[in-house]
Amino acid sequence: MTQLKEQPTELPAELPAQAAPVTTIPALPASKVVPAPLGVFTRPQGKHGWKSWLFTVDHKRIGIMYGAAAMVFLVVGGVEALLIRLQLAQPGSELLGASTYNQIFTMHGVTMVFLVVMPLAAAFANYLIPLQIGARDVAFPRLNAFSLWCFLAGGIFLNTSWFLGGAPDGGWFGYLPNAGVTFSPSHGMDFYAIGLQITGVASLVSAINLIVTVINMRAPGMTLFRMPVLTWMLTIVQFLLLFAIPVITVALFFMMFDRLFDANFFNVAAGADPLLWQHLFWIFGHPEVYILILPAFGIISEVIPTFSRKPIFGYSFMVFSGILIGFMGWGVWAHHMFTSGLGPISVTAFSLSTMFIAVPTGVKILNWLATMWGGNLRFPTPMLFAVGAVGMFTIGGLSGVTHAVAPADTQQHDTYYIVAHFHYVIFGGALLGLLAGVYFWWPKVFGHRLGERLGKANFWTVLIGFNLTFGPMHILGLQGMSRRIPTYTPEDGFTFWNLIATLGAFVIAVGMLLLFINIFASRRAASRRPAPGPDPWDARSLEWMVASPVPEHNFDEIPIVQSQDEWWHRKYETQPDGNSVKTAAVAELAQKGDAKGVHLPSPSYWPLVLALGLPFIGYGLIFNLWFLVLGVGLVLVAIYGWILEPPDDPEAVHEHHDDDHGNNGHGDGGGAGDDSHETNGQGDSEHISMNGEYAALNGAPQG
Amino acid sequence: MARSARRTTPMPIPQLPNSDGGAPERRRLVQPAKIKALAALSLGVLILLLAGCASEHPLDSLTADAGPSSERITNLFWPILIVAIIILILVEGAIIYMIRRFKAQRRAEDSGTAMAGDPYDPDNPTELLVGEPLPPQTHGNLRLEIAWTIIPTIILAVIAGFTLVAIFDLEEVTASEDSLRVTVVGQQWWWEFQYHTDGNTDSPPDFVTAGELVIPVGQQVPLEITSRDVIHSYWIPQLIGKKDGVPGRYHDWLIEASRPGRYLGACTEFCGLAHGYMRMYTIALPATDWNDWAANQRQPVTPLNPGEVGYEGQELFLANCARCHSISGLTDTNGDDQTDDPSIYSGGDPVHDQLVAGAAPDLTHMMSRATFAGATYNLYEDRGEDVDYQDLAQLGEFNAAELENWISNAPGNKPGDWEAGRGMPPFPNLTNADVDALVEYLRTLT
Repeated sequence: MTQLKEQPTELPAELPAQAAPVTTIPALPASKVVPAPLGVFTRPQGKHGWKSWLFTVDHKRIGIMYGAAAMVFLVVGGVEALLIRLQLAQPGSELLGASTYNQIFTMHGVTMVFLVVMPLAAAFANYLIPLQIGARDVAFPRLNAFSLWCFLAGGIFLNTSWFLGGAPDGGWFGYLPNAGVTFSPSHGMDFYAIGLQITGVASLVSAINLIVTVINMRAPGMTLFRMPVLTWMLTIVQFLLLFAIPVITVALFFMMFDRLFDANFFNVAAGADPLLWQHLFWIFGHPEVYILILPAFGIISEVIPTFSRKPIFGYSFMVFSGILIGFMGWGVWAHHMFTSGLGPISVTAFSLSTMFIAVPTGVKILNWLATMWGGNLRFPTPMLFAVGAVGMFTIGGLSGVTHAVAPADTQQHDTYYIVAHFHYVIFGGALLGLLAGVYFWWPKVFGHRLGERLGKANFWTVLIGFNLTFGPMHILGLQGMSRRIPTYTPEDGFTFWNLIATLGAFVIAVGMLLLFINIFASRRAASRRPAPGPDPWDARSLEWMVASPVPEHNFDEIPIVQSQDEWWHRKYETQPDGNSVKTAAVAELAQKGDAKGVHLPSPSYWPLVLALGLPFIGYGLIFNLWFLVLGVGLVLVAIYGWILEPPDDPEAVHEHHDDDHGNNGHGDGGGAGDDSHETNGQGDSEHISMNGEYAALNGAPQG
Repeated sequence: MARSARRTTPMPIPQLPNSDGGAPERRRLVQPAKIKALAALSLGVLILLLAGCASEHPLDSLTADAGPSSERITNLFWPILIVAIIILILVEGAIIYMIRRFKAQRRAEDSGTAMAGDPYDPDNPTELLVGEPLPPQTHGNLRLEIAWTIIPTIILAVIAGFTLVAIFDLEEVTASEDSLRVTVVGQQWWWEFQYHTDGNTDSPPDFVTAGELVIPVGQQVPLEITSRDVIHSYWIPQLIGKKDGVPGRYHDWLIEASRPGRYLGACTEFCGLAHGYMRMYTIALPATDWNDWAANQRQPVTPLNPGEVGYEGQELFLANCARCHSISGLTDTNGDDQTDDPSIYSGGDPVHDQLVAGAAPDLTHMMSRATFAGATYNLYEDRGEDVDYQDLAQLGEFNAAELENWISNAPGNKPGDWEAGRGMPPFPNLTNADVDALVEYLRTLT
């Protein structure tokens, strides 16, 4: 690599024409003229309109679309939740019927886990990781777009099952043999097995992409231990995804083969042991819990210091406890199986490991409290959500310890006590934390704040509704109410708290409605409100030094990082007496976002086309092989298109100094990758182009 | 503002208690007495919430234990729950304390400077935090952090110790090799109990019942839990936690009741359409009563002859029901056991037999049970908890309506997929008179 850096002349001929560092279209040297690409192989143009969103490879637009899709699915999953609560409001209800009820609670779980919390976290990961590490984009922008469309394809594919013979009805955990074709003869579980494989591809691709981004593309001086805690937590999540998704993919593949092709992976009569599925599912499923919660932990770790006006307490403890959770998360899966018949030795081992994973988690909670201690606390909406998430997650964490005690778990397993527990973790912890992030970064992303009054109403309504819904479920569980039952009898004594829980669910619905009202109302009010400026919260990390909304090229000039909380330290200076004083105005320090001619990756058609092919392969496997032909065709065309499309738009104006190759003043990584160059057939070409990018960055107009 | 008037002295960051020396007037954020009252109140409310006698919450796992195992679990669980609640109160208390104590507005009042508006007001943000002194920029405290890593570890280690002992205690078999053992078989959506009174589960069972497991009081009964189709979970909250019945696997479990009674259970592993309708009772009888009960269960029924009460129903049973339901002792006109050959209901595919619920509950001595259809419906009016099950009269009047309703249209009562052999089919061919005759026959199965 070093060699190549010094030998720019060996750059492959397909590299884009080298433009002069001015904004006029240069005459291209004859030897470097790129032949005009064939029709469809030109890259899409245009920065505005819906097409520019469909073909974008900009990590920010992709992040926004991840978030928007997650919000849509949140409504879908929320309506499913309300139907569940309506069904359970009274004993003996016949509102839905068992078959529909089974489909609804299955899809509620699948939707909330795979289509709401994970993509919402992916939204933050996509949008913020490059900004927080001082990069122009992710390492592989087209793969990033592919992740988004793949997730969306999988999510829509799963939900089309409602109209194609019935949704999955075997529970989100899909235990076999109950989810096998004998006992679940509708196509629902086929949609589950294939749909989750598709969203799994999205997560896996995205994980690799973001890991490469974090490892290779940090700004100069941004060492790993200067990265914001959020970026750390998101990176840990990407590693968890990288190792967990293959496990569930294998399991889903087995299930698919059992169901569609009469394989015998889980056929008891042919000698299979159904516990295989449980192990595979939960080896994925428990790290998945941390995949859901760690992004929220990261967000909380950004929001609380900002509004306490103190640095995070114990940065390295926070980071290492996150890493430790990431490691220990792999050793606790069988606590989902304490009643499955593992034998006392296994049960003991997993009982103990589950208890001790509470230690790093507890450290995080105490460090957040210590961050707040002695701070100057202010409570705008993001802080309310963050502190609310800490409070609610604590309840979920503690109830988690009570059923880490395996004998107690034999009483609580698969009762509403567990339902209460994981909703306190996933809703109270993860979703509230993510909503804190929504309020916190909204001005950065959209250039206007969300309303405070509606925001606070949103928070309090959701918090009250949440506790009304899930608090009573602890009691219902201890009173013996099983999970996943469509109804109960008046003699069971579950009536009162179920009614309260249903009321609570509708309070949550009202609270969430306030969020959406706030989003639209704030958008309308944006013009008459003062612009938030680059740094509306007096925050700490690099994304707050660029304009709001973030310009397409992120940074006019890649910042050189000298400390943790780099942006904060640029604004504040520590005096000899130990006090920090704001020494410079944000307006002077922040970048204007007016850099011209920064070379950015071009949009592409092919990520969308490639993702579009996958659900058709799914329909083909389920219904008719002609769909399969169509799907495979789309995938093949997209792969060829991906490879053959020109590395760049030859007419685009950009700066690219040949001379600057090898004149790379930065340390490891950094700069924006343009994965269009990965098409030129050489393994190292990505690096070459990245170094080229560096050059472009250095050559970009500064200030 | 009246509140700020009382706080004329700036409040230092509390390092340790009493560091502020003086200011006796200073309002404490929360009075200790209040804390105690609050704690007592919340504990009281909690106990009230959780309590409730067994008849109101027949599946309650915490307040109405009737067996040594469930007691052991409850005794393990309560202290842990209380520790968890104390930690919860401490953490939430700390959050609430800090919100009140360190609110920027209050600190401004304390230091005598007025807050210059709200920098985060979207409509009118004041310039951000100009001149506001920053709080001490603490980056961490290694000793503190190590302390709050070690303290939870110690608490958890103690909990882990008790847990470990309990796990192995609960596995301890005290029953002798040749005492009663029961094979518990889950099936969509009811439970079968195969009694091995000699403790030998390899031999054919002495008798088979469904829906209700009857055990002698004060005797540990080892169970062997399995399933014929999907995964089910056997759970009698007042006696013992749950254990899954997994097809192809036999899970050992121990059940014991320390007092006579009738204990409700529910299947707790999602098992398909009628998962919510898959209930079971465990009934604990004094040893002598149990012996009488078992002696009765062992007896095959005598086929009725023409002219006897119920004969008509017996013929209808043989024509419509014996395809799936066994009655020990019932033979056809040739003297062949009607229900020996599973091929009569499945076309002779033994794999299919085992995996699809084709067989239905054994109805020998059906009337000695209080419930039917996966313990979902009552045979008798009374659902009392403490009746002597030898005296069926105590169960109250026979409740014909639910049974008749069930026989004529089972799928209308309990979800199922009878076309796929899962769940009882409807019998539109039976007239009301036929159903009456069938019920009359079933009533002879005492």
